[in-house]
This record gives sequence, structure tokens and C-alpha cells, in this order.
Amino acid sequence: MPLTPCDKKLLHMSLLTVEDLQKSFASPSGQLTAVLDVPSFTLNHKEQVAFRGASGSGKTTFLHLLAGVLPADSGKISFDGHSLHSMKESSRDQLRAAKIGYVFQSFNLLNGFTCLENILLAMNLNGSSNRSWAFTLLEAVGLLEFKDYLPRQLSIGQQQRIGIARALVNRPKLVLADEPTGNLDPANTDLCLGMLCSLCQEWGSSLILVSHDPRVIGQFEKSIVWEDLNQVTQSSLTRA
Amino acid sequence: MNTLTVSLRLAWRALTQNILTSLIAVFTVSLSGGLFLGAWKTKQTVNLAFAQSAGGFDAVLGARGSQLQLVLNALFHLENSPGNLDWSQYETIRSHPGVSEAYPFALGDNYLGYRIVGTTPDLFVHHQWKPGTNYQVHPPGRIFSDHAKEAIVGAQVAAEIGLKLGDRFHPYHGLEYNPDTRHEDIYLVVGLLETTGTPVDQVIWVPLKGVQMMEGHDASSANAISGVLLNLKGSSGLALDVKYNKQGDRATLAWPVPAILSSFFNRFAWMERTIAVLAILMALVGGLIILATLRSTLHERRREFAVLRCMGASRAVVTGSILWQSALISLMGALGSVVLFIVLSLSLSSLIRLQVGVSMGLPVFDKFIFLTCGAILLLGLISAWFPAQKLYRSSLLESLNPHG
Repeated sequence: MPLTPCDKKLLHMSLLTVEDLQKSFASPSGQLTAVLDVPSFTLNHKEQVAFRGASGSGKTTFLHLLAGVLPADSGKISFDGHSLHSMKESSRDQLRAAKIGYVFQSFNLLNGFTCLENILLAMNLNGSSNRSWAFTLLEAVGLLEFKDYLPRQLSIGQQQRIGIARALVNRPKLVLADEPTGNLDPANTDLCLGMLCSLCQEWGSSLILVSHDPRVIGQFEKSIVWEDLNQVTQSSLTRA
Repeated sequence: MNTLTVSLRLAWRALTQNILTSLIAVFTVSLSGGLFLGAWKTKQTVNLAFAQSAGGFDAVLGARGSQLQLVLNALFHLENSPGNLDWSQYETIRSHPGVSEAYPFALGDNYLGYRIVGTTPDLFVHHQWKPGTNYQVHPPGRIFSDHAKEAIVGAQVAAEIGLKLGDRFHPYHGLEYNPDTRHEDIYLVVGLLETTGTPVDQVIWVPLKGVQMMEGHDASSANAISGVLLNLKGSSGLALDVKYNKQGDRATLAWPVPAILSSFFNRFAWMERTIAVLAILMALVGGLIILATLRSTLHERRREFAVLRCMGASRAVVTGSILWQSALISLMGALGSVVLFIVLSLSLSSLIRLQVGVSMGLPVFDKFIFLTCGAILLLGLISAWFPAQKLYRSSLLESLNPHG
């Protein structure tokens, strides 16, 4: 679907715009259950925003929709001049590899690969391979000397730092962080969160972070209560 | 790095991460493929080896009885002789215009279980056991003299019981070794035959007169022979077949030798069909094993693929990785199949050579083997295709965030 002149003008200011986004999932009985209904959301270039919300309230689904790994039932997502909702799957894959970084709660590093290989693999999926840049990133997260370690040989805090480096390896326009500190102790939470925010700022990436932890949310200038954004009421949700 | 390389790298890493499962899959596919190849090719190879081991003869004349028994007894030195012929019958067939070569032979004795066959020295001088090749005696040995108590020894006999030039031995009566049936005659080994890869290697050859006149033999055997090995001119086999088999009642002409051997192998057609069915079932088992292995490892790789998709991995990378994983297992399985086939063939070849002296030679790599390897690969890819598609469609939410 081509963008209207109005859309294009808006896109000059914003990196991401969402309109009337809806998503339902089929329950085991086959009944459709709405999990997400976001009338409007906008994120500007280099902006960092945190969503606060309860577990299972559809925040992860929202991130998957923004990343284009899940198709929306209806609505529009425009990201960096692209209409995700009208793109082919292969184009969405390319866009995600090049312009979106993902940080997970459970790190999700690939266990059979070393730290360096985990980072290089993300680069490879974007069609490039630059070892020196990977070393720079490892240095930035303070783990250069651990480059040949397997994820299981690292502490959980170190694993998440590798996860952050991996998310930033392709200099993405947008980083999506899904409860990135959910498994970390307070010290590692502060370290990783500080690292994520500062590196995004340094390299010009926008950041959307979701968390249920008020302490994490409190460190963001802009935070949104997820339930205010999502029009689907918590009581109607079965799973998100 | 392109899609192909990334997916190959992911597949290789998945194989090495699940090394035990992968090895079991490769081993089982190898076993299925190797047995399939072995079962299928053995029939063909054995038939060919027997046909090539007939010693270059068109026909055998022997006592009235079974043609197959005559061929097995005269050319493969198996079974018992169906009876004897008179010397006059040998002279009659030798002088027949349709006969180009005729060598009388007599048997009935052994040395330590190896058959002693009496014949004329001409067999070793004139006969070509395969086109352009006569029997050769290792120097400084020679062929026995017609009227002396001398012997030449087949290569396998020499190797197995260590008979060498200048050795002397007592023959034993009968075709089976019995220490109580020793003849008093003593034979001198004057020659060792070069290896032919045919049943000739399993025989000790002595002059015809030696067997006929052996101490302790019945006086009537002095003019008796067990049969005549023949080569025929043109289409004279038809006339001789009518003369001996259809009109006569004193002797049997086993002709043509290849057809008689074929009829022998046709008796085992039921077994071949059974083996073929088993072989096909084995191939299916191989395919199912690849499928089961992939399903097992893919279950473990669900999270990995979900992560990769979030990182921007395309459908080609995800499905390519699974197809590569299956292709690598199938390729290694196909190689293992060929190795197992070679081991099976060599073992069978050695067994047959020990038992009947027929050499099957080295396994031949023909189109069938390459087709089988291709089929294993194809089966592996088909087995992987559907799980790959299913995995790509599986829920990312469940894979990445099991707690909701």
C-alpha cells in the first residue's frame, strides 16, 4: 500500500507509527481472543521509550508485530519509510535484519556458537561480515576477552551484554528490548540497562523497552503504561 | 556471507551440537543403505562371478544324470560325480567334428579335503581358461608328465596347506578327507599354478592315469573317467544335445554351461525377491530414521530458529538450515552405505572364494550405486522439507517466551 503525502510528511519526523493495530489469537477451543488493540503510537528517531505493564498483557506480541515477525490482523505499521503491513515476508525479513535489533529477557544466545560467532551471525543475516566492528562492540560491552567463550560459560549478566551487542551489531534504527532485565540481579540490571540506553544513544538507535519492573521504567524519561495504550482489557486476555 | 553459507553453517553447528543423535542417524542410514546395496548387488555380482569362473568351457559330458550336477562337479568341484564314462565315450566325442577341445577328467580322491583331479597335461598346455590366457605354473615348476606320479597344485591349496615344489604327499580315497583311507601312492609336487580366481585354485591336479590306476581303486576304474570338458565349434552343441540328451541314454551333455548356471540361480529367484522387498523396507526405514532424527533435533532447535527469525533470518535461511542438516546426514549416510557395501562385498567375496574358489573381484562402482546415493539424499531432503515448513510456521511466542 503506497504511503500518502501526509504519511510521508509524518515519517520525516517519526521513525515508527502505528495505527489501529489489532491482533487476536485462537484459543485451544478455536475461539478467537483479542490480545492487542493499539489505536495509535508514534516513536521518533533516537527516542527511547519504556512500556510498563503486567506479564501476559500483550507487550511481547506488540514487539513481534513491530518487528514484522507476526502479521497483524488489521492496522498499519510504518517504519523508517516502509509499510510493514503491506510488505512481503521476505522484505520484512530483510528490513528486520538490517534495521531492527532485538534484546530478549532470556538472552536467547545460540548455545553452539561463541560470543563472537553470535554477533557475527547477526551480521551475516544482514549480508555483511566485519570482525573488527564485532570486536568494537565486544569491547563496548566489556567482554572482548570473552569473545571465544560459549554462552553457557558466561554469567547471566555477561550473556545479556552479549545479547545487547548482538542487537546493535547492524547499527539498527530501532532496538526492541523485551524485559531485558527480567532475569538479572539489581547490579546487572543497572549495568545492562545503562549500557543498552547509552549505546543506543551513541549509535543513534531508537529504543522501545517493555518491563513490569517500576525500577527499570523509572530510569526512562518517557514511559507509557501499557494498559493505557492497549485497548484490550486485561480481564479479557487469555494469553499474549 | 550469503544465505547458503549461513544456513550451511547453522546446519553444521546443529549436527556437531547433537553429535550423538547425528552419528546414530548416520550409522542407521549407512546400515540401511549398505544392506540395500549389498542385497541388490550381490545377486548380480555372484551370477557374473560364477559365469566367469566356468573355466572357458562350453559343455561337459558325463554320466547320465543332472546337467547342473555335472557342471557343478566338473567346473566348480562341488557335489559328487553322477557316475563314470568309458574311455571309448571320450574317444568318440573327441573325434566328433563339432568338438574343438576335449579333456577327460577323473576324480574320487582328495588330499586333506582338497580334491585331486586327474586329467591330461594338454589342459594346461592348450586350454585358455579365459580368452588369451592359459594356465601358468610358477617357475621353476612345470606341468606333470602324463605317466608319472606328479602333481600340480592350485594356488589356494598351496596357500592354505603350504604345499610347495618338491613336497610329496599321499592321496586319500573319496572326496571327503578321512585319515583311514590313505592310498599308498606318493605324489611329487612339480608345479604350483598361478592364481586364476576360479575353482581351479582349489584343486590338486594329477595325471589321469594316476587316478585311474591309484592303489586300492577298483580294477574297472582303469578305463573309466568322470567326464569330459568340452569346447565346441559353431552350433554343434545343438546336434550333440540331440545325440546325447534326446536320443542317447548312456551319457548327459551339460550344454550350454551359462544357461545351466542361470537356471541354477533362477532357483533362488524367490530369495532374491524376498531380499529385494527387505532392501526396499530397509531404505524406507532409513528415510524414517532421518525424519525421526530431524524431528527430535528440530524440537530442540525451535528456540534457535525463533531467535534467528527475530534477528532477520529469512525463510530460506531457516528451511535451508534444516535441509542442509538432513542433506549432511544423508550424504554421510550415503558414504557410509558405500563403505558398508564394500565391506560386505569383500567379506562375501572372501567367503565364496574360500568355499567354492570363485573370485567375485572388487566391488564395481556403477550407475546403480550412484543412483542409490542420490536416492538416499533425495529421501533425506523430502523427509526434511515438511518439518522445515512446519517449524517456520510454528509460534514464535511459544518458542521465545514460554511464560507468556
